[in-house]
Amino acid sequence: MSGEFVEAPHQDVVLFSRVRLNRNYEDLPFSGKITREYADEVVRRTADAVLGSEQGHAYAMIKLADLSEDARSSLVEHHLISYDLLRFAQRSAALISTGKTVTVMMGEEDHLRLQGLLPGLQLERTAELALSMDEMLSEKYAFAFDSQWGFLTSSPANVGTGMRACVVMHLPALTAAGQMGPIMQAVAKLGLTVRGLYGEGSETLGNLYQMSNQATLGRSEEDVIRSLLAAAGQIAGHERAQREQAEKQDMMKLQDTLLRSMGEMMYARLMPVNEMMRRYSDVRYAASMGYVHASLAELDNLIRELQPGSLAVSAGKLLSSREGEILRAKLLREKLPGLVAN
Amino acid sequence: MMCEECGIRPAKFHLTTVMGGERQDRSLCPVCFAKYQKKLPGIDFTNLAGILSGILEAGVNGAEAEENENEARACARCGTSYLDFKRTGMVGCAQCYNAFREPMEALLTRVHGNTQHAGRVPGGVRSGASIRMNIERLRQQLNQAVTDEEYEEAARLRDRIRALSAQLEENAPAGKEDAKDER
Repeated sequence: MSGEFVEAPHQDVVLFSRVRLNRNYEDLPFSGKITREYADEVVRRTADAVLGSEQGHAYAMIKLADLSEDARSSLVEHHLISYDLLRFAQRSAALISTGKTVTVMMGEEDHLRLQGLLPGLQLERTAELALSMDEMLSEKYAFAFDSQWGFLTSSPANVGTGMRACVVMHLPALTAAGQMGPIMQAVAKLGLTVRGLYGEGSETLGNLYQMSNQATLGRSEEDVIRSLLAAAGQIAGHERAQREQAEKQDMMKLQDTLLRSMGEMMYARLMPVNEMMRRYSDVRYAASMGYVHASLAELDNLIRELQPGSLAVSAGKLLSSREGEILRAKLLREKLPGLVAN
Repeated sequence: MMCEECGIRPAKFHLTTVMGGERQDRSLCPVCFAKYQKKLPGIDFTNLAGILSGILEAGVNGAEAEENENEARACARCGTSYLDFKRTGMVGCAQCYNAFREPMEALLTRVHGNTQHAGRVPGGVRSGASIRMNIERLRQQLNQAVTDEEYEEAARLRDRIRALSAQLEENAPAGKEDAKDER
């Protein structure tokens, strides 16, 4: 494996780790009953607390109402805000750290959604990011909390820790070997759930899966993180073993399949997003095996830039789907060769 | 990802049907999903709220008197009624949890398999304080169960207390006297 290109732990299999904490201010009505006035108050006090803190200069405030649809989608495509935040675009806002590792979402289903995000398998550090934001805010304001049920949320499905921890994994070899069904069943026993990152169909785009905790009540944050880490480590191990086995079986065939996708990406004139995700999966797989020398992080980043919303933002205008396919193919031709060493 | 049925709207729902041992997975938009939903018996799947209230209903079937009593409940602070909650799956404020405490307890058991917070408390304090409160509460329940000669329940409570005590020790290795186990 191309060791020098693997920047974050387990990045050959794990794209990123994310932890989100749901919090509500004790004294304000929850999302379902909130008025414009109270929604503004959520944004006001959160922004004051974060921007006025020691690390305040590291955060940028974004009001969703000020952004175009494409710019909003771009934030979702970069995993900086949740898809659900868009449902309340008129009132919602986000504080995003310069390193993009911490986001404070305001005005979602709960008043606050505190997010930590890091590349690779780094759940503990990721949780630390979200939890220190939680600590900082709860010094100033009281969050809705019950000694028996923990942090209170709009939906009872999130009470307790209010925490959803998640790892996003690239599992092309396990998918090809038809192993995903058994894996999903096995992790369910640990209280974890696996689904496709894009769309929840049986065939997931780009062989990308997200695994997260199901329940939020009854287990400590540390406990949940530990089981998620253990499961992710196991699955990553199985994925690597499966990749090696595929190589052992017929290396020429494997290389041929994966690297043809590289060719398609470098020379195509029209590139729909679904096809790109399929090719990307092959190229990422090839890079992790050392068949091409490319930085996985940069490859992941390029693909995020080429998602529909982000693409339109960089083009500076609305794109028809045809225009999008042409521009996506053009950018791939320009940028992909630069990512590949030699 | 686009809806597999109409291909026009983005897919928001995932539908798995098993018929004659054959499993079918489809990603659907809300409009097409609603069409399928009509064909499905029982629980309302339109959203998580629907699932929750479905569970809520399922749990109180056959206990109509209790359910009528629940339906009379409303939150004094925000005015959310128990029926509103059942319909939307969302509470209106922090106080609602107290207003609907009993049915909520049953719901949380079904959703989380647990009704005992074991995580942090506000201020980033590690779970110690909250676990200690929970252990105390469970001990009282345990005493009650023993008095009532409900030994199965008592055994279950004892296991829960053990698990929480173990967690307490784990979280605070410099543990003090309060991490002591029960007899």
